[in-house]
Amino acid sequence: MVFQSWLDGIKRVVVAPAIIASVFVITLLTALPLAAVVGVGINEHLGTSLMANEAADGINYDWWQEFASQGSVLSLNSTFTPSIIGFATTLDSVSSLLDRRPIVPAIAIAAVVYLFAWLFVTGGILDRFARGRRTGAYGFFAASGVFFFRFLRLAVVAVIVYAFLFVYVHQWLFAKWYVSATRDLPFERTVFYWRLLMYGIFAALLALTTIVFDYAKVRAVVEDRRSMIGALVAGARFIIRNPARVAGLYLVNAIVFLGVVGMWALVAPGAGGSGVSMWAGIAASQCYILARLMVKLQFLASETALFQRSLAHWGYTAAPVVVRPVPPIVEFQ
Amino acid sequence: MRRLGLFVAGVALVCTGAAESAQKIDQPVAGARSPRNASYDIDVTLEPGDHSLHGRERIHWRNISANPASELQFHLYWNAFRNAESTWLRERRLGGNTNTPRPDAWGWTDIRSLRVITQGRIDVLTPRLHYIAPDDGNTADKTAVALPLPQPVAPNEAIDIEIEWSAKIPRPFSRTGYIDDYYFFGQWFPKLGVLEDTGWNTHQFHSATEFYSDYGTYDVRMTVPRSFVVGASGHEVSVTESSNGTTIHHYHEDDIHDFAWATSPDFLVRTQAFEHPPLPRVEMRLLLRTDHASQEARHFASAAAALKYYGEWFGAYPYDHLTIVDPAFQSASGGMEYPTLFTAGTRWIAPTRAINLEEVTIHEAGHQWWYGVVGSNEFENAWMDEGINQFSEARTDEAAFGDRNYLVRRYFGGFVPWVFHDIKVKREWDEGLAAYRREAESDAEATPSFRYWPSTGGNITYYKTALWLHTLERSLGWPTLQRAMSGYFERWKFRHPQPSDFFQAISDAAGRDMTLFFDQVYRGSNAYDYGVQQLTSAPAGVGRFRTTVVARRFGEATFPVDVVTTFADGSKKTERWDGVERRAMYVYDTKSRARSVEVDPNRILLLDVNYTNNSRTLQPRAGEASRKWSLTWMAWLQDTLLTYGWLF
Repeated sequence: MVFQSWLDGIKRVVVAPAIIASVFVITLLTALPLAAVVGVGINEHLGTSLMANEAADGINYDWWQEFASQGSVLSLNSTFTPSIIGFATTLDSVSSLLDRRPIVPAIAIAAVVYLFAWLFVTGGILDRFARGRRTGAYGFFAASGVFFFRFLRLAVVAVIVYAFLFVYVHQWLFAKWYVSATRDLPFERTVFYWRLLMYGIFAALLALTTIVFDYAKVRAVVEDRRSMIGALVAGARFIIRNPARVAGLYLVNAIVFLGVVGMWALVAPGAGGSGVSMWAGIAASQCYILARLMVKLQFLASETALFQRSLAHWGYTAAPVVVRPVPPIVEFQ
Repeated sequence: MRRLGLFVAGVALVCTGAAESAQKIDQPVAGARSPRNASYDIDVTLEPGDHSLHGRERIHWRNISANPASELQFHLYWNAFRNAESTWLRERRLGGNTNTPRPDAWGWTDIRSLRVITQGRIDVLTPRLHYIAPDDGNTADKTAVALPLPQPVAPNEAIDIEIEWSAKIPRPFSRTGYIDDYYFFGQWFPKLGVLEDTGWNTHQFHSATEFYSDYGTYDVRMTVPRSFVVGASGHEVSVTESSNGTTIHHYHEDDIHDFAWATSPDFLVRTQAFEHPPLPRVEMRLLLRTDHASQEARHFASAAAALKYYGEWFGAYPYDHLTIVDPAFQSASGGMEYPTLFTAGTRWIAPTRAINLEEVTIHEAGHQWWYGVVGSNEFENAWMDEGINQFSEARTDEAAFGDRNYLVRRYFGGFVPWVFHDIKVKREWDEGLAAYRREAESDAEATPSFRYWPSTGGNITYYKTALWLHTLERSLGWPTLQRAMSGYFERWKFRHPQPSDFFQAISDAAGRDMTLFFDQVYRGSNAYDYGVQQLTSAPAGVGRFRTTVVARRFGEATFPVDVVTTFADGSKKTERWDGVERRAMYVYDTKSRARSVEVDPNRILLLDVNYTNNSRTLQPRAGEASRKWSLTWMAWLQDTLLTYGWLF
C-alpha cells in the first residue's frame, strides 16, 4: 500500500501542473522583493566601479567581502556570503535550521509571509489531491479560502509545538546532552557521531511533528473537519494505527528528497559568468527549487492517497462542496 | 643628494648609538648561540589520577641587565585559571566569551618552597613571595609573583633558584590543559620574567597576548605513566622505565626560551627528515591523533614548506629537530608555538583543496623564526611575532600550496566542510584583509599589545601587520624586503629586539627613511582609503575630448598612489600622486574619450579599506553584476524558505 500510495501521489502531483506552477510562483514572489533590495544594494555599492566587471564575469571576492561588511549583522548584506553559490545553499539552509542559527529580521519576515501563503493554498492543494481531478481555479480558491482560517488555527498549535522543539528540546539536545556527552571526548570523529545522533533525533522529532500536522490537514480536508484539535487528534490516531505505512511512506518520500538534493550536489553550478552562462545557472537553480517543491507536494499527495486508501475513503472527499460557476452558455438557453 | 647625505649621516648616528648602548653581557656566551642567562633543570611528575603536576626546578640565572637586581619576578601562568577574577578571565569576558568554567576546569600553580643559592649561601625565601599586578593592579590576579632578594645580584652575576611546586592541571581554557588522557603543558612551570635595563618585564597573563622570556638551557625529566607517548621541546636524551609503572622521559635543549610538552597514549609517532640543501637537515617528529592518520603526509609537507621557505628567505632553522603535535579535539591547545615544538590543528574531515591544515602548520612552524629564534616581547609587541609571521606564513602558503588553496566554509556545527572551487584564495585574504577592514582604527599598533581591546586586538596584531608588510613588499619589492627581514633575523636571533630594530632593518634595506610609513601604520590608527571622486570625459572641439579626473583621499592615513586613466583607444595616462592632499585633479585633452580611471590599480596599498571606490568607468557594469548576484541570492533565499517551509 505504501508504494501504491507513493505512486498515486506522484500521479496526483504530475496531473496538477497549475498547482506546481502556483507554489513555484509563490516561492518566487516571496523571494523576489528581497532579491530586488539586495540587487539595489549591490548596484549602489558597485556604482561605476570597475570591480563590477569581475563581479559580472565571475566572482570578485574582494568586492564581495567589502559589500558584505557594510551594515550590521542583522542586515541583508550579512547574508550575502559564498553560501549562496551552488549546493552550499542547501547545506547552509539545512544546517541553519538544525543548528538553530538566528536569521536576519528581513528573512524572518519573508518566511512568515511565505508561511501564510502556503497556509492559504494548502487547503486548495489538498482538496485537489484528494479529489484526484481538476477542481478549477474557483474550486481551488474556494477550498483554500475555507481551510485557510482552519489551518491558521492549526498553525498556531504548530508554532507552539515548534517553539517548544526549537527552544527547549534543541537546547536540551545540543546545549546540554550533546555538550555533556562530548566535552571530554578528545576525538572529533566520536564527537561528530554524537552530533549526527543529535541531528537525527531532532530531525526525527521535526519529521514526526510535520507528519502529525500533515495528516491533520489531510483529515481536515478529506473529512471536512472544522475542529482542528479534532483533526490533530484524528491525524495522530491515524498515524498510531498505521505506523509502518506512515513511516514507510515518509521514508520513501524522504529518500526521494535526498535524491533530489544529491542530484543538486552533483550538478549545482558555480557562480557562472555573464550572459548565457548566468541565465543557465539561474535556470538550473530554479529547476532545483521546482524539484524541491514537487517533492513537498509529493509528500502531501502521497499522504492524502495513503489516508484515503487506508480508511476506504478512496476517491472520497467530503467537503467543501465545489460549486462550479454557471457556464455562460446558459444565458443563451 | 643633500637629502641622501643627511639620511646616511642619520643612519650612521643611529647605528653608533645602538652599538654604544649594547651590553656585552647580553651577547651569546662562548660556544653558544644565546646569552643562556636563564637555564632550567626540571623534574616533573604527572599524576593522571587527580590531574596534577609535582615538580622541582633549579634555575641558573645571570643578570644581563646594566643594573643590580634587588628582586626576582616569576610568572605563574596557570593561576590565570585559578579564579574567575583573574585578569585573563576578565579580559576573556570583555572579548565576548562569558562562559562560566565548569567546576572541575580550574587550574593553578602553588610554589611550595623557594630557595636562593648565591655563592654557596642558601636562603629559604618562600615567605617573602608576594603576588604583583603591574599591568592593572588586579589583586585577584595571581599570575605574577615577586621575591625580594637578601642582597642584590650585580650585573653579570649569577644565582641559582630552587623551587618546588604543585599544580592542578586545568581543563583547556587556552593553550594548555587536559582532556581525557591528552595533556598539553605550556607555561606550566614557575618561570622568571625578563630583567631589562629599565627593570623587570614581568606582565600578568593576558587573554590576547603571549609570553616573553630569556634564553637558556633546558634539561627536563618528565615522569608519566608507561603507556604514554611524550613529545617535548628539545631532543630526547633518554627514556627510563621505573618499577612503579612510570617512565621518565629526559629532554634537553640549548638556546631556547621556553619548554612545552605533550603526552597521551593515543599518539601515533611518525618521523620524517627534512632535506633541502644547503639548508641543514631537520628531523621532524609528528605525534598524530589516531583519527588523523591519513593526514600524516600533509603535516610533514607543511612543516617542510616552512623549513624550506623560511630557511631560504630569512635564515636556516638552527636546531636539528622539530616536533609537531597534533592536538586532541577540544583541547584548545591547537595552533600554538614553543621552541622546537608546536601544535598544529586539523579537522577529521579536511578537504585537500583547502589548506587550513597547511596554514596552521606553516604558521606555527614559522614561529620558530619569529618568536623562537628572534625572541620579541609578545606581551608588548605581539605584532613582531604574530604579524610578521602571518605575513611570512601567507607568503609560504602561496608559494607551497597556492595551487590548491580554495575557499572553504563549514556547516553543521563546523563538522562538514564545503569547498568553493570557483573562489581561489588570494594571499591578502590569508593576511586577514576582511577582518582588518572591520577594525582598522580600533587600536594604534604601538599600543602595548596586552592593552589592545580584547575582541579586536588580533586584527591589528596579525592582520594589519601582515598587510603593511605585504604593502611594503609591493612597494619596495620582495628582494628589498627579504633582505631587510633576513638581516633583521640574523642580527636579532637569540636576542630581544624592539620595534625600532625592525623599522631600522627596513629602512636600512630600503635605503631611505621609512619613518613616515611607520608613523602611520604603527604609531597611528588612521585608516587608508583612496578613491575616485569624479570622472568626466566630454567633447571639447572637433575630435578632442576633455577628461577630468579627481582622485580623493577619503581616509586620514596617507600613502603615495598611482592614478591611471584609460582611454577608449587603449592608451593610458599614469600620474604619481603623493596622496597627501585631500584631492588631486588631472585634466587631459585627448583624441579619445576616457573609459576608466583607477587609483592604485596594482593594489600596492593593501591597507586601503575600500577598494571598490578606487575606480570609475564610463561603461559601468554594476547592473549586470547586481542582476546576476541578486538572482543567485534569490535562489539561496528560496532554498531557505523551502527548508523552513518544510515544517508547515
